[in-house]
Amino acid sequence: MSLAAGPGRGGGGGAQGQLPDEMKVVVEKHVAYIQSLDTRREELEYHLTEHLRISGIYWGLTALHLLGHPDALPRDGVLDFLFSCLHADGGFGAAPGHDPHMLYTVSSVQILAMVDGFDELEKRMKDGKLKVAKYIAGLQQPNGTFAGDEWGETDTRFLYCALNALSLLGFLPSQQADQPPLIDVPAATAYVKACQNFDGGFGTEPGAESHSGQVFTCCGALSITGELDSYLGEEGKDRLGAWLSERQLPSGGLNGRPEKLVDVCYSWWVMSSMAMIGRLHWIDKAKLTAFILQCQDPEEGGFADRPGDMVDVFHTVFGLAGLSLLGHPGLVEVDPA
Amino acid sequence: MASHGIPRVSGTLVDKSEQAKEKERRQIERYKAAEAEVIDRIRVKDYSATTLQATSTLLAQNPEYYTIWNHRRLVLQDAIAKEPTRTQPDDDIDAADLTAARLANQTPAQHQIALLLTEDLAFLLPLLKQYPKCYWIWNHRAWLLATATQHLPTSSAVTLWQGEMGLVTKMLGMDSRNFHGWGYRRTAVAALEGLSGGDVSLVEPEFEYTTKMIRANLSNFSAWHNRGRLIPRLLVERQASSEDRRKLFDAEFELITTALYTDPYDQSLWFYHQYLMSTLDTGNKHSVSILEPCTHGDRVRYLEQEIESIREMLDGAEDCKYIYQALLEYSMRYLEMEVEAGNQKVTTAERKGWLEELRKIDPLREGRWNDLESKMKL
Repeated sequence: MSLAAGPGRGGGGGAQGQLPDEMKVVVEKHVAYIQSLDTRREELEYHLTEHLRISGIYWGLTALHLLGHPDALPRDGVLDFLFSCLHADGGFGAAPGHDPHMLYTVSSVQILAMVDGFDELEKRMKDGKLKVAKYIAGLQQPNGTFAGDEWGETDTRFLYCALNALSLLGFLPSQQADQPPLIDVPAATAYVKACQNFDGGFGTEPGAESHSGQVFTCCGALSITGELDSYLGEEGKDRLGAWLSERQLPSGGLNGRPEKLVDVCYSWWVMSSMAMIGRLHWIDKAKLTAFILQCQDPEEGGFADRPGDMVDVFHTVFGLAGLSLLGHPGLVEVDPA
Repeated sequence: MASHGIPRVSGTLVDKSEQAKEKERRQIERYKAAEAEVIDRIRVKDYSATTLQATSTLLAQNPEYYTIWNHRRLVLQDAIAKEPTRTQPDDDIDAADLTAARLANQTPAQHQIALLLTEDLAFLLPLLKQYPKCYWIWNHRAWLLATATQHLPTSSAVTLWQGEMGLVTKMLGMDSRNFHGWGYRRTAVAALEGLSGGDVSLVEPEFEYTTKMIRANLSNFSAWHNRGRLIPRLLVERQASSEDRRKLFDAEFELITTALYTDPYDQSLWFYHQYLMSTLDTGNKHSVSILEPCTHGDRVRYLEQEIESIREMLDGAEDCKYIYQALLEYSMRYLEMEVEAGNQKVTTAERKGWLEELRKIDPLREGRWNDLESKMKL
């Protein structure tokens, strides 16, 4: 996910003036909630979630961009923290002292892209961009997929992460036509295609059940390599679009697989996939908007997985990204891939 | 940071009593102390049993802390690397262990490695039950088994993997949709088949397992999915004739039709029906083949049969959207194949009526029905 360039719909909630209260995004409260996240050191939960810290910052920062307050977290502070997670091999850990991993490396690259920090990376590490790109490329397996780290777990999540980060760094083979390729793109896309099922969806590996999260990562991967349209074709898009549209339940919310509970985070995984294949109009946007807004905490800010549950920054960014994709007033536009 | 299904209690942040705050402070201190214990030891490459125990303490409290799992593996790797140097029985190994090793065809070193790995598998059990969706626990388990396969005699590795089949059956008994569980099950099956050098196939028992899971709860698409994945291999291994293939195809239709009569509102079942129908669809890149040969006549006949059978389901379930969806989808495919005969079996008026009902029952997907209408050129 990255933010689209160009004019947004304006921030600050001013554009929401005409909406009834229950339809308003409480922009200021979400900003304050995200700003408060790093000051909660007196809570055990803060320490128990350190293994997610850099991704948490990425989610928070993306949410702030969507809310039209990109500067609400101090850039210098973010960069200092980010570089304290960088290892000599070019990988990033989740927090200082945590081991490097694909998940936190892609979050870091996304943050650098968002705050325009690649020059800073070059300053702090000689050939920093290339080193990070090589760390990612080094995790590709002979069958085309990517491991999360040196210990070898593979999953289509990591494959998407690799392509996303390399494209932001400008090190995809197509972006470096005069250089030997860092990764084997045809092997990666062949692997993605092998993860597709008869129902049009994709799983974590060949043979695995279709899952909305994996539909997002696989469509995202094919979209980055420019093959999504030609590979799926109209029939393939209809089949996948039908499966995705059945994720919407009468509450308006979306689930991740057949006969599972709805969850705000699928507002992003399902909807962005539908947008990538041009089938976003196959679900009821008004009902989904209402559902996402019911998951917002109007007093303290933040979004939860379902109405009435505890909020967290993960569901906050995916709730806001979902609303942005739905064209909700007061939010900046987002790019589905 | 990513919480699921935990009710929101408004104002907890401000309302904590001084006593509660003090309690939380002490918890944080203990947690940070446990963390420091592991990190300090790993920094000086202390890969002792005490360090292993320190990682256990911390991981039991926070199994999401991936770096600590990595540290734990460093300790285990170190212990394993030291074993082969121990060629002679020494004071650490008692006579009973030596006998056990001999019986299992293991060297004393292998026996010690087996004990170490088995202990670690046991440590994971309660954690897995408490956190069945934690990627890192499943991941560590898979690493332990891969390590066992690398270092132990095949027979020992097979015994361990068989234990894993038992474990994953228990896990799927607790949550029959856990996709970590289903993924791990496929890994275990592939490992056991691989270790047998091709002599053992688990396709039949695995197919049987999906039948059992479906009978326990029809609404289990994970089981239906796996079943659909197993069928092509099952047929090959049974060396099924055309007639056998047709029999299985018919039996699957019978199974799913009975299920659909039980609950036509369950989309898991409709997706399995779609799976069976996809085997007749030459346009689907990811469909598998069941009937061999599968002639034009077969395709038309099964489409007719299923359209007829689903039409009958409408009786008493007129408000079930999936029935109309299936009728529209299959009749569209049918008409593409058999325009003239098709027009007699399914009329345009009937198709218009189905679409009309669908719009009424399922307004959420109105945009999709609009596109479907254009596609059907009604």
